[in-house]
Amino acid sequence: MNDKIGITTTIPQEVIWAAGKTPVDLNNLFLASELRDSFLNRAYRDGYPRTTCAWIAGIYGAVVDSENIDTVIFVTEGDCSNTHALAETLEIKGIEVIPFAYPYNGDSHLLRSEIEALARHLDTDMFEVEEWFEKLKRPRQLAAQVDYLTWAENRISSLENHLCLVTSSDFNGDIEKYCESARVLIDESSERIPFTVKARLAYIGVPPIFPELFDFIDSSGARVVFNEVQRQFALPFFDVDMISAYASYTYPTKVFRRIEDIIREIKLRRIDGVIHYTQSFCFRQIEDLLFRKFIDVPILTIEGESQFDLDERTRIRIESFIQMLADRQ
Amino acid sequence: MKIIALDLGSRSVKIAISDGFLNDYNIYDTSSFFSDCGKPGIDGFKLDFEKFGLEKDARVFATGYGRNALSIASATVLPEIQAHALGAIEQTGLKDTAVVDLGGQDSKIIWLEDGRIRDFFMNDRCAASAGRYIENMASVLGLTLEEISNYYELPERLTTTCAVFGESEIVSKLARGADKYRLAAGVNLQIVNKISAKLANSPVPNIVLVGGVAKNTAIAKLLAQTTGVPVVIPKYPQFNAVIGLINHSASF
Repeated sequence: MNDKIGITTTIPQEVIWAAGKTPVDLNNLFLASELRDSFLNRAYRDGYPRTTCAWIAGIYGAVVDSENIDTVIFVTEGDCSNTHALAETLEIKGIEVIPFAYPYNGDSHLLRSEIEALARHLDTDMFEVEEWFEKLKRPRQLAAQVDYLTWAENRISSLENHLCLVTSSDFNGDIEKYCESARVLIDESSERIPFTVKARLAYIGVPPIFPELFDFIDSSGARVVFNEVQRQFALPFFDVDMISAYASYTYPTKVFRRIEDIIREIKLRRIDGVIHYTQSFCFRQIEDLLFRKFIDVPILTIEGESQFDLDERTRIRIESFIQMLADRQ
Repeated sequence: MKIIALDLGSRSVKIAISDGFLNDYNIYDTSSFFSDCGKPGIDGFKLDFEKFGLEKDARVFATGYGRNALSIASATVLPEIQAHALGAIEQTGLKDTAVVDLGGQDSKIIWLEDGRIRDFFMNDRCAASAGRYIENMASVLGLTLEEISNYYELPERLTTTCAVFGESEIVSKLARGADKYRLAAGVNLQIVNKISAKLANSPVPNIVLVGGVAKNTAIAKLLAQTTGVPVVIPKYPQFNAVIGLINHSASF
């Protein structure tokens, strides 16, 4: 085993750090790579159906074609069932796969025993893990500060907010560097003139396959002041112990807990409209109807498949949506 | 002063030269528009003003997919949703309605409340609820677009939701002796079912049907039947967005 451990989504990364290893969020590894197209093609060549979520296919290709990932922690409950097949197809390629399950209802006892099992597997203990939870408060607090400057002081762009929060799932494997770039962003932003926009938006759903989306939103005169799932990745729960913090983490549990969080933040952040991103072939497309049932600001649902550039159809929708929100004010 | 309004769609480009009214209008095939009506430049497509009998300072208003490809000084771009909303209000006077635009690859629903857009829907990743589906199915059935628009009674149940694979479903049903005209009605109903499902959660007192598919009278009948509300087809369904642009130009 080398010092890097891949993760298929956010897991209690404290365990990996405590074991002396470095987490690598495989979603970021896939999307940030210049080889992302060839990662997808690798999955299709190896027999992945074309109708597989591009995140799953891309992670598969990224792990198989990377030389430095030989161990992957995959989430068996709290993410999608495609992950099971991902782990199984990686296993036959010689990758060690370690399961981790988030209890569906956020049960603290079950969660503790899952984290303990993971710690045992990686030859560490809960004492070390809890210590790392304390150590990771510093980067998480910086992420929360960037988020606060986004919605309360209007000084951070949609993309900056997204990147700062989305990379907190593994802190890009370098906590000091992460903290430094967050500090630079915070300092720089203090000299910026606060933005005024036609519409304040929430972005809900998994991170987009086309991050260009965020700059396009800004250039269309709006701003994302709430990146829902990315904010959850940064675990914004500070006055609680580790188990309670992960039990409060909404992404892997039932959608109603996410909806509660979204409704609260929409009010706090004075949000005019919601962009709900869904990935093609994902079960979360069904949940769109639940968001529409409970959220009382306009929702635009967009869909990404495996194209990394923002397509014209999606641009048209976003422009029309922003204009519609502006006309309502 | 004259303006030129362009709706640059996926299949066709709708153009009107206007001095405030829709009095000189035409439809071009999208590819022939780009080869005959100007030329591409480094910073986008240059419209041939002379071809349209326009002075160089004529104002240009554009909407549709290709709108950002046009690089013309002072061109004003309006998103399609807004253009269709303005066009429907201008043509029908209805301010509380759902505008259903069925184009070549697109289907859109725009909910209007007191003349303002409350919400909208656009199809994604699939053209099975748009004109291209009807074109393909009509061709398999050996019918023209005009002919297929006559059939709405006793529709045969069709299940394939793909504008390409739909062909093999029709062929296999024909091979098993299905009635061609009931299949034609089934094709029209497929389009309507997709739209009606979206309208079901947000009922409206009436529907304004625009876009090229509005010429299919069977679809209008089936839409009224399945939703239970009147369907209004304005005088210029295909030029609805262009009329919206002309209306919009009045505010400049």
